[in-house]
Amino acid sequence: MQFKSKKPAFEHLHKKWSARARIAHDNFWSNHANALKHLALGTVGGLILLSPPQGNPQKPNLIASSENALKGYDRNVLLAKALSEKLSSEVKPLNPEEEKDIINLLSDQFGFKVTTELEGIRLNRNYGLIGGEQHLYRYPGDNLYAHAQNSADWARYSDAGIAPGLGAWGYFAPSKNEFTQKDEGKERYYLAIQTFLSPGFAENFAKYRDFFKYRKMLVVNPKTGQAAVAIIGDAGPAEFTGKHLGGSPEIMDILGLAEGPRKGAVLYFFIDDPKDEIPLGPISVKSEVS
Amino acid sequence: MTLFYTHLIEIESVIEELDKMDLSKEEKMHLAQLLDSSLHHTILDAIFSQLTEEDKKTFVAYLQENEHKKIWKFLQEKIDDVEDKIKKVAKDLKDNLHKDLKEAKKLHG
Repeated sequence: MQFKSKKPAFEHLHKKWSARARIAHDNFWSNHANALKHLALGTVGGLILLSPPQGNPQKPNLIASSENALKGYDRNVLLAKALSEKLSSEVKPLNPEEEKDIINLLSDQFGFKVTTELEGIRLNRNYGLIGGEQHLYRYPGDNLYAHAQNSADWARYSDAGIAPGLGAWGYFAPSKNEFTQKDEGKERYYLAIQTFLSPGFAENFAKYRDFFKYRKMLVVNPKTGQAAVAIIGDAGPAEFTGKHLGGSPEIMDILGLAEGPRKGAVLYFFIDDPKDEIPLGPISVKSEVS
Repeated sequence: MTLFYTHLIEIESVIEELDKMDLSKEEKMHLAQLLDSSLHHTILDAIFSQLTEEDKKTFVAYLQENEHKKIWKFLQEKIDDVEDKIKKVAKDLKDNLHKDLKEAKKLHG
């Protein structure tokens, strides 16, 4: 523990739960020493997967393959460098040349097609200021605590709270029983996009509403290269806020924008994924940045 | 990340109690990590205890892939009522955590 607390209740839990965690850890490692010794001599990834989740959105990559995740992290930094050479310091809509350059770069680096236009529909902009949003109700009777997959999730994301109203498309599932892992991912990795400002929205309301519902997007923090695959889960924010889009607490964390003012400049584009093959969540670049 | 056992474990009640306490973000993170660590190792221990040495290695290989369908297919083949066994150890741990929370709340702070 790298901080001090004088709260008796916290101290009590710290002592009790440290002991419980130590005992559970020691029991596991001593009861299965032979099998685990074999693992310890194997891959770093093998050891890490036996560690508990820490609520860090980059952990899935580490668990799958620590070596690859570390390589991915380095390349994301290189991506940030490449983007900095293509973007102006002012956060403003991209011109057609910048759009082309950047979508080519991102499509190449992430290994799937990103685009500014799908089915003839475009957003009002693809480079803007993102702000932190709250959690959304996912089904009738949902609550903030149910959003946490583990307690680290609660510690990391519950401060954001839950929005009093529903998202633009209502609940993600009609009931808790019908709520799937896929629905869970949608709320976890959602963006609020100013869909109402996209050219042609007012004239084609029904078509645009259906097109934007859960539309898959790539969102990238150009300063760091941190990136996520998300969906459009809500409409907003209002123009007067000065922000151009919003991100769920988890998305803001993935982008490295969860602390301090909880806002920053991001690039965001449609992903052309008609077969729904690209998973939501944090993503690392796939190849060397040229 | 969704772990293969996440859907079986209800931690809302523990989180709800923790949320009622006056805790800083650091304190929350610290307690959350201890809680998750206890739960994770307790569940892995319960599973490993039911597997042969060879099966443990296979299980770990599936864990590395993080393919939940494969993990569950394997566990259901190897361990009778595996889901109930996981739920049982998680509930026992949770009951103890609730006792700890009750004691902590008496300390006002």
